[in-house]
Amino acid sequence: MGCVVLVCGNHLAFAQQKDQPSFIDQAISNSQPKMVKVFGASAGKVEGFATGIIVSKDGLILSSQGVFLDGRQVKVVLADGAEHMATILKRDRETQLSLLKIQADTPSFFELSEESVGEKGDWVIALSNAFKVADKDEPVSAMLGVISLRTTMEARLTKRDVAYRGELVLIDAITSNPGASGGAVVTPRGNLVGIVGKIINSSETNTRLNYAVPSSVLFEFVTGKASVTGETQPVLEQQDVEFGVVLFTLGGRNNPAYIDRVVRGSPAAKAKLKSDDMIVSIAGEKIGNLKDYAESLKSLRPEEEVLMIVKRGVEMMRVRIAPRLKK
Amino acid sequence: MLFVWKMEWMCMPDKIFQFVLGCLCGLLVTPLGFVVAQTDNNEVEVNAVDAEVSELSEAELMEAMALTSKAFRSAASRVAPSLVTIESYGGVSAVQGRIGGIRKQGEGNTTGIIISSDGFILTSTFNFIQRPPVISVILSGGERHFAKLVGRDDTRKICLLKIDGLTDLPIPEMVDESKIKVGQWAISLGVGYGDTSPAMSTGIISAKNRIGGRAIQTDANISPANYGGPLVDVEGRVLGICVPMNPQSQAVGAGVEWYDSGIGFAVPLANANKLLDRLKAGEYIRPAFIGIQSGPNPLGDGILVNKVNPDSPASRVKLEAGDILLSINDNRVNDMLRLKQLINRFEAGETIRITVKRKSSGNEEDLELPLAPPPTNSKEPLALPKIR
Repeated sequence: MGCVVLVCGNHLAFAQQKDQPSFIDQAISNSQPKMVKVFGASAGKVEGFATGIIVSKDGLILSSQGVFLDGRQVKVVLADGAEHMATILKRDRETQLSLLKIQADTPSFFELSEESVGEKGDWVIALSNAFKVADKDEPVSAMLGVISLRTTMEARLTKRDVAYRGELVLIDAITSNPGASGGAVVTPRGNLVGIVGKIINSSETNTRLNYAVPSSVLFEFVTGKASVTGETQPVLEQQDVEFGVVLFTLGGRNNPAYIDRVVRGSPAAKAKLKSDDMIVSIAGEKIGNLKDYAESLKSLRPEEEVLMIVKRGVEMMRVRIAPRLKK
Repeated sequence: MLFVWKMEWMCMPDKIFQFVLGCLCGLLVTPLGFVVAQTDNNEVEVNAVDAEVSELSEAELMEAMALTSKAFRSAASRVAPSLVTIESYGGVSAVQGRIGGIRKQGEGNTTGIIISSDGFILTSTFNFIQRPPVISVILSGGERHFAKLVGRDDTRKICLLKIDGLTDLPIPEMVDESKIKVGQWAISLGVGYGDTSPAMSTGIISAKNRIGGRAIQTDANISPANYGGPLVDVEGRVLGICVPMNPQSQAVGAGVEWYDSGIGFAVPLANANKLLDRLKAGEYIRPAFIGIQSGPNPLGDGILVNKVNPDSPASRVKLEAGDILLSINDNRVNDMLRLKQLINRFEAGETIRITVKRKSSGNEEDLELPLAPPPTNSKEPLALPKIR
């Protein structure tokens, strides 16, 4: 998007011929006083800095989760260069957000919208201190892009991390860089779309995602409406279920789920499944291989009917089938 | 206040604000309607425009920006009926995230474009690095069909799928490569992030005639999320199909290291009928390979042959170590990059004419050299199996 920024830059120049501030310029300069640079502990290769946004007039600051919060002190640098020590009010594992407080008046702040702001194709400006390029009172870096997609998807930082499953606003400005998390993503009118999320990899594409955690999620987090302690849902006792099929296992768990044999009298037999059928999907989830099949069984309940799609020859078949308790 | 616009001008981002100004002046209401209405005109009046631009109020500029977003969405929805979601079943397992030395694709679905009403679908070979034995596609309406792999072209990283028993599938409009202008808007689309609605990224055409003339370059984000998907203009017409590419290597995964970097490639298809016919006929088009190990000539012009691989095109025309390669089809070669660039213009099976200064005789000779595909013992994944 670099070139687009330049192109729009030309238009800023156009507009500025008469000393009129352009609106992108205005959106950026209006946002700058609401941005903070956050510094804290680092651990090995993991950087000890991030970006944050001011969300109240009395010093509430929203940022991301990270090791920078784990040290003895968290330092917040305001747009005018003033430094304040912050206390951590709350942090959430699932949304990877943190709420900080400094003892200072902060008259410029972002209003958090309960509604979602911005749709696919809309221009957005991402403001962040990626690579801690800005120091002291220097303004944070601005990038221009569009909203690529508003979607919910599973993405995680590492295997150990809790996967975030809420809505993400994917953008095409490259924000997945060290220190950018906690930055602001705003519309050309300066409204907050969300904050730049931590660097995460999409399991769908095996690529880094550039995205914002939407303002509605931020609103819930700050106002305390969301569960913030990582409360676990009451887990239903898992019961092992089966359809009564034996799959081809030769060649490893990455094989497609081909049926080798159907057990007589089983749910599979009643659903008229046959040898050499390939299971395409169960309950709407694609079964790409034997691993997916094993995972899928774990989420099913005995005697609860689901839709199974099966490939027979080149035909696609839809069957209703209820697994039974495993004997 | 009536301005006359030239079609190409409309398509350039640095003109889009003037373009939108035109809309604001009441010429037309929507950007697309505007373009359509002005296609017949070829005259340009620029002077009046520049004077007009500085008069734009902030509200108008804001409106202009909102209109570009509207145009992006409209372009995406125009091509959307021709996009398919590709699912694969099974395939080789990745070892530490890599397959045959190539960074593996994600676990998600990938994108393809319908190119004929009877069910031919183009996508990128990258999407099948894991060589899945079974592939299905989901049409934009949600219908799922099994697909077979018909042909592939490794020089362009594209392959052709076929779904049977269908007619009247929607095919997108394609833009002739000669009509594509550096600097015009480009929008990349793909369903790789798992949503049925394609994700979009916008940018411009950065360059044409890249990768041996096979690709155009864009700064819109290109990644596994849209490999196999289209790069479209503001009217939703297909400029090319998004693929990973790297001028230094023709390996199937080469170029993925540049994903979302501002350096992205797409293969134009408007004039590719001959190519598509070959793929429909089941052809497997592979990169060209000569079979020499070489370096710059320390004593002057040309490339010094250090070693000739046994059983290679070079050994078949009896090239020897110490020979100096001076030109290919009358193009001088003085460095390795140039050699690579020249060879990349061809494909296996084609014949080139080389001029060589022989070590043995000291004479310059012209030789006909039939190019072959690279040997299969390389790190490349094997050819995709035909789908049963």
